[in-house]
Amino acid sequence: MNTVNNSEKTSIKSILLLVAFCLFATTQSCDEVLEIEAEGNISGDIYDTQENIEKALIGAYYSFGGINDGSVGGELMGGDFTLIPTLLARRNNLEISWDDVNGPAYSNFMDKDVLATNDRVSANWRRAYEVINTLNNILFNIDNVTNASVKSKIQGEALAMRAILYFEMIRLWGGQYSNITLNDDAIPLKTEPITEVKQIETPELATIQEIYTFVEQDLTTASTLLEGLAKNDENLSYYTCQAYLMRLSLQKRDFPAAEGFANTIINSNAFQLADTPVEAFNNTANSSEDIFAIQQTTAFSAGDRSTGSGLPNYYSSLTESGLGVMRIFGFSLTTPARVNGPNFSSIDLRGTINTNVNTSTTAADISTPFYTNILNTSLLSSSKFMRSDRVIPRIRLAEIHLSRAEAVYEKNFKVIDPTALSDLNLVRNRAGLPTLQEDDFLTSFSFYDSLILERKRELLFEGIIFHDLKRWQGKIGSSSAISQKFILPIPQTETDTWGN
Amino acid sequence: MNKLFTCLVCCLIFHTSLSAQEISVKGKITDSQTLEGISGVLVKIDHNEISTLSNADGSYQINLSDGYEHLTFSSSGYLSQNIFVGGKTEINISLVKSETKGVAPKKSNQVTVGFGQQSKEELSSSISQINTDDVTPAPLVSLEQSSQGMTTGLMVQNSSGKLGGATTVRVRGGSTLSNSNNPLYVVDGVPLSSGSQSNLNPNNIASMEILKDASAAAIYGSRAANGVVIITTKSGQDGKMKIDFDYQAGVSQSPKYLDLYSADEYNQQLIEFQIRSVPNALELDQYINKENLAAWEKSETDRIVFPNGNEVTLPAFLSQLTHNTDWQKQVFRTGLSHKANIGLSGGKEVLNYYAAVSYNTQEGILVGNKYDRLNGSLTLNSKITSKLSANMSVNYIHAKEYKLLDEQDLGAPLQAIVLPPSDSFDPNNNYSLTVRSLEYNPLTEINHSENLGFNNSVIGSLGLRYDILNNLSFDISGGVDFSNQRDERRQGPETREGSITGRSQLGENEYRNYIGNGYFTYSPSFGQDHKFSLVAGVSYQKTTVASTFRVARVNSISELENLQTGTTGLTDIDIPNGSNVFASSFWRLNYGLMDRFNFQVSGRVDGSSKFGPKNRYGFFPAASASWLLNKEPTFSHLHFMNLFKFKASYGLIGNTPLDDFLYRSNYYRLQYGNSQGIGLLNLANPDLKWETTSQLDVGFEFEFINRITGSFDYYVKKTTDLLFPVPVSQTSGFSNVFKNLGSMENIGLEIGVGTLNIETPDFSWSTDFNISFNDNLITDLDGNNLIVGVNAFLERQPAGIFYMRKYAGVDEQTGQALYDNGFGGTTTDWESAPRQIVGDPNPKYFGGLTNTMRYKNFDLSFLIQFVGDVDLYYATGEYLSNSGILNLSQSANQADRWYSPGDKSFYPALDPFQENTNPSSRWLQDGSYARLKNLTITYHLPESMVTKWGLDNMEVYIGGQNLLTYSNYIGYDPDVNYTDPLNGTIGQNISRGIDNFTAPQPRIIMAGIKLGL
Repeated sequence: MNTVNNSEKTSIKSILLLVAFCLFATTQSCDEVLEIEAEGNISGDIYDTQENIEKALIGAYYSFGGINDGSVGGELMGGDFTLIPTLLARRNNLEISWDDVNGPAYSNFMDKDVLATNDRVSANWRRAYEVINTLNNILFNIDNVTNASVKSKIQGEALAMRAILYFEMIRLWGGQYSNITLNDDAIPLKTEPITEVKQIETPELATIQEIYTFVEQDLTTASTLLEGLAKNDENLSYYTCQAYLMRLSLQKRDFPAAEGFANTIINSNAFQLADTPVEAFNNTANSSEDIFAIQQTTAFSAGDRSTGSGLPNYYSSLTESGLGVMRIFGFSLTTPARVNGPNFSSIDLRGTINTNVNTSTTAADISTPFYTNILNTSLLSSSKFMRSDRVIPRIRLAEIHLSRAEAVYEKNFKVIDPTALSDLNLVRNRAGLPTLQEDDFLTSFSFYDSLILERKRELLFEGIIFHDLKRWQGKIGSSSAISQKFILPIPQTETDTWGN
Repeated sequence: MNKLFTCLVCCLIFHTSLSAQEISVKGKITDSQTLEGISGVLVKIDHNEISTLSNADGSYQINLSDGYEHLTFSSSGYLSQNIFVGGKTEINISLVKSETKGVAPKKSNQVTVGFGQQSKEELSSSISQINTDDVTPAPLVSLEQSSQGMTTGLMVQNSSGKLGGATTVRVRGGSTLSNSNNPLYVVDGVPLSSGSQSNLNPNNIASMEILKDASAAAIYGSRAANGVVIITTKSGQDGKMKIDFDYQAGVSQSPKYLDLYSADEYNQQLIEFQIRSVPNALELDQYINKENLAAWEKSETDRIVFPNGNEVTLPAFLSQLTHNTDWQKQVFRTGLSHKANIGLSGGKEVLNYYAAVSYNTQEGILVGNKYDRLNGSLTLNSKITSKLSANMSVNYIHAKEYKLLDEQDLGAPLQAIVLPPSDSFDPNNNYSLTVRSLEYNPLTEINHSENLGFNNSVIGSLGLRYDILNNLSFDISGGVDFSNQRDERRQGPETREGSITGRSQLGENEYRNYIGNGYFTYSPSFGQDHKFSLVAGVSYQKTTVASTFRVARVNSISELENLQTGTTGLTDIDIPNGSNVFASSFWRLNYGLMDRFNFQVSGRVDGSSKFGPKNRYGFFPAASASWLLNKEPTFSHLHFMNLFKFKASYGLIGNTPLDDFLYRSNYYRLQYGNSQGIGLLNLANPDLKWETTSQLDVGFEFEFINRITGSFDYYVKKTTDLLFPVPVSQTSGFSNVFKNLGSMENIGLEIGVGTLNIETPDFSWSTDFNISFNDNLITDLDGNNLIVGVNAFLERQPAGIFYMRKYAGVDEQTGQALYDNGFGGTTTDWESAPRQIVGDPNPKYFGGLTNTMRYKNFDLSFLIQFVGDVDLYYATGEYLSNSGILNLSQSANQADRWYSPGDKSFYPALDPFQENTNPSSRWLQDGSYARLKNLTITYHLPESMVTKWGLDNMEVYIGGQNLLTYSNYIGYDPDVNYTDPLNGTIGQNISRGIDNFTAPQPRIIMAGIKLGL
């Protein structure tokens, strides 16, 4: 019996030992055990150093350029801010035959019936606010950038990028700026950083006026901050800000202001028109007329047919890069009756077509603005965006010249100003068209018509004409360009979270 | 005189035995097949030290104290049996060989629980057991698939008939919204995080236990909320070396082919498409009908002149569409499979061993799909000293998978079914279509690309047990679960994505999972009526994941691999490494009172690195009790009742998010232009905490007259603080973020009944039936909801409910599709129609019925598996049955679409201008089915014959898998659960019951041979 008792005592001791062991294990050492890190991870509040803020800004550019990361790509400046307005401004089966099987997400824009469930609408919406939040964080923590010149550069670029996004968004999701629409609710204006889940709130919509005012102020501040940096490599620069201020002024029909901003850019002589119209596109670096372009490389791009995203996937029908989804009717380029058509003359370098193509043709073989759609040979492809490893021009000097001419004309529409005329001729001559004299125009109105037509030729399929049509109160098909159906809906995935 | 003498003697003997209080029982123990006596069988009285061995002829006799004891008959190589004496004096018993599949095997009495074993009788929690003997010898690739329909509470759903496809396993319904709802798999004590369970060789598994209720699972704490599946691999037994060999060959085919357009019907659709594309098509409505289309098609005209003078020119290519291709025949094939397995086992008490190697190669029913797997395993058990024992097991897996593209991708084989049947293709021209060369032929992808998955995994464990005292032991064990998964994909220049240069991508995932446990088991004795046992210990687990992904436009994987980081054209995607640690302490106390009452309480404290410092720890207690009614003296006269147990349990289990480090912001590296930057992966949520599932379980188990067994369980499972990807305003930059929000419940009923219908020496027949009912309900989401495609998480609705526009037929006059407008009327405007709840993808009930028969040396067994009251969304129909809107080939019923005013049809008119497929309840289907899941006929060669050949046993079998399916479902297979891989884990839990060009489960016919020597 004694042995049993002893063994029980021993076992009770063991139990006590065990309990002590467990208590120790769970209370003493666990906190340390659980404080782990995975190799090479970047985490936490990273906006405390200049280096990280610089890297975050690169990250903002990445998303701003719609860089394909495997699941998303081709949004914002890397594609959709070009493609969506292009499709909205073009007539289905009269100008463009959109291949619905290979580009189903964009059919809505072609059909002018954009659903709130449209994938591209929600993809752009989300990604724009993703960039805005990164920028809000950078701006909130800007004082952590110790070097003063770096600080003003980062601050300037961040302010400019945020303003550009809001401007592009208000033009797509909001009505045209006018006295009647100023107080219409449009899109949320977020300026405070979100770092934690609990800071997310149902947003309030800002009015068109509020967004425009905000954009104008920030672009002005950014301009000042970036002024000393000239072209600022390939980043957003003083000139980009001036160009966007010009666009904004035009959209507001504030022509004197627009002229001023255009003058700044043109008079700086920082940019020159490329020698030929096609040389302005498909470049491995910014062309001499690029004021701002998205920097795609072979490794990081918005995509092409291999990712099913990005401009080349839709514009190009070359075997190496695209599915030729945007199929252009050849007659729409030359038929005078097309309201928003370019009406190219046979000598216009912007209207020539390469018909000698086949499935082994590559971008290097194409030196015309159009070529036979390789996948559907009765139609054409535009050569503006042929490869995903080439920069995507967002603002070109040609637009500035044409805009200045328009602004100058609007200031006094009774006369043909020599500056306006020379701006027009600069663009015409580059396209191989003869110089026009004041005498060639019956009235100043026909000068204006010529100017507008030139704009439709020069900026064709670049997503710019759509916004022009709104400020011109022009027509798309039989509808007014300011009609509600040309305003993108707020995505259903967003409104679903607003409750009632 | 003689009679009188006999009587007297009898009385005397009777009297003597009475006075001596000695009753005995005797009988003969025979082999169930040979009917020969078995010697050396241990006959033991339960809860007593008395035992005896049977004689050479199998006879035995044992003394009893009151004649109402239980006897256990056990012998190496046979399944043990436990028999209630019930006053009988003679019990003859036939034992079934444990290797032999057949007659309702009396299952092992021991059940593996977390950190220990318990006897079934004492068990107070809900545990299902699947014996490998029950698992059919089907050539199934994954273990999960082999357990479909086998037991209550376990729902197994196949994602597709593709080999290597993921399998959805739900124990008592999904209890979470965000996490993987799959149960925790524990292989030989190692909780897996690599997913390697799918690749274990089913032949190597001794048993699977499914811990269903909180009381059973709580000891595993976190991650056990979805149940725990404990897998024990085979180990050696004392005795001479035994060699088992088996080989199986199988042939698989698609069980079903869809009824698709004929070449003529497709061409007629093309003609209609053209007519309706012209500007004044409305005027032509009146002339469009099946007959006219057929006539126009037959006339081979290139221009149709209508009675009203209109003319429509038909496309030139129409005249070339004269072929007749059955695309289903092009992509489906007959797949062959082979499986061979060899196992060695044996040993003495000091060292037992089991080693096995198996090779499995299987061709899928879709072209290009194949799976090869090599498994090796070794288990050693050693009794080193009388106090120290050790066990070790290693499982090695090498698999090579010839994968297919994701179902929804162009280039996935089944996408071929929407290609024009009137077209053809040219293998010498990259398989491109002869006429409609813009359409992508999946055969191009399959023949000009490689898509390989490699898996190298090891699961190993080593455990030591030291018996400190008679009643106190200490176990320490360590384990690893390593897995390297490598995906290589090369697309040749001929393919769509690889055009001109070719394209290669390489992804690798490296899982490293380490586990260490230490625990004491203390079982003091306090006399007959009180049985105590206490388990207490600690556990540590660390998991790391490292992933890489790179892609470049090169035409070779090795070239891609050799590219230096930073090379032009190479994209290296930065995937942050994962790492997490669980540190836990746990204890469990069992108390048995008078052999009738059993109580268990347990607790576990879990710490997880997945949460922020303030929310790291969770405490998860559980308690259960059971009452053995049959042991109550009051009922002891009810001899028919071998077992009647009431049980109840309640407990809490925790759950963590799948991702690591969600409590803080995380970033990934990226490149823009030539600059390096970072991008935000997630917003910090320092408030993230444990999701908790409480579960109440009540039930009973019974066994009557040694022939009828059964169990009944009712449970209520409630999950609170759901870890849930809450949709948020995208002005945050995210569509959804992880939060603890809302609650969900699963209420269910599980019934299992097994009967031994007939048992004679020559013929026996047993039946097992199980059915489970589960009702899932999201009880609270704090006003949020989450909608992914046609599925949604909505408050007061089952998770993943079908939420979409409700189809309301076709407008007879215009042929337009109508949708319920939410106000009792209809609308033709799809978007303005409100989404509504139209169906439920969660089955209300499911189960299986197994029948096993033996006649002499023949065994027959078959399993009928069923799923009931469930809806499926036939997403394939958005393309394959959409009235031809995208001009794709259609299912044959689309020829009955609306053509002209007055037509009554379920399918709207062909609208060539419609591109959106407009998901709606038009494609919602009843997904209930019953299926003859498998059928096996086995012939055991007579022992007398095989022993001459030097064998212990030999059997041959033939069988079939998925032989018959009864279902109204329109698609290939109602056993389907497609999830869009882009939706991630969240999508996998929301998207349910979707069939998106999903291949059916194959019908397999197989034959095999098993040898033992």
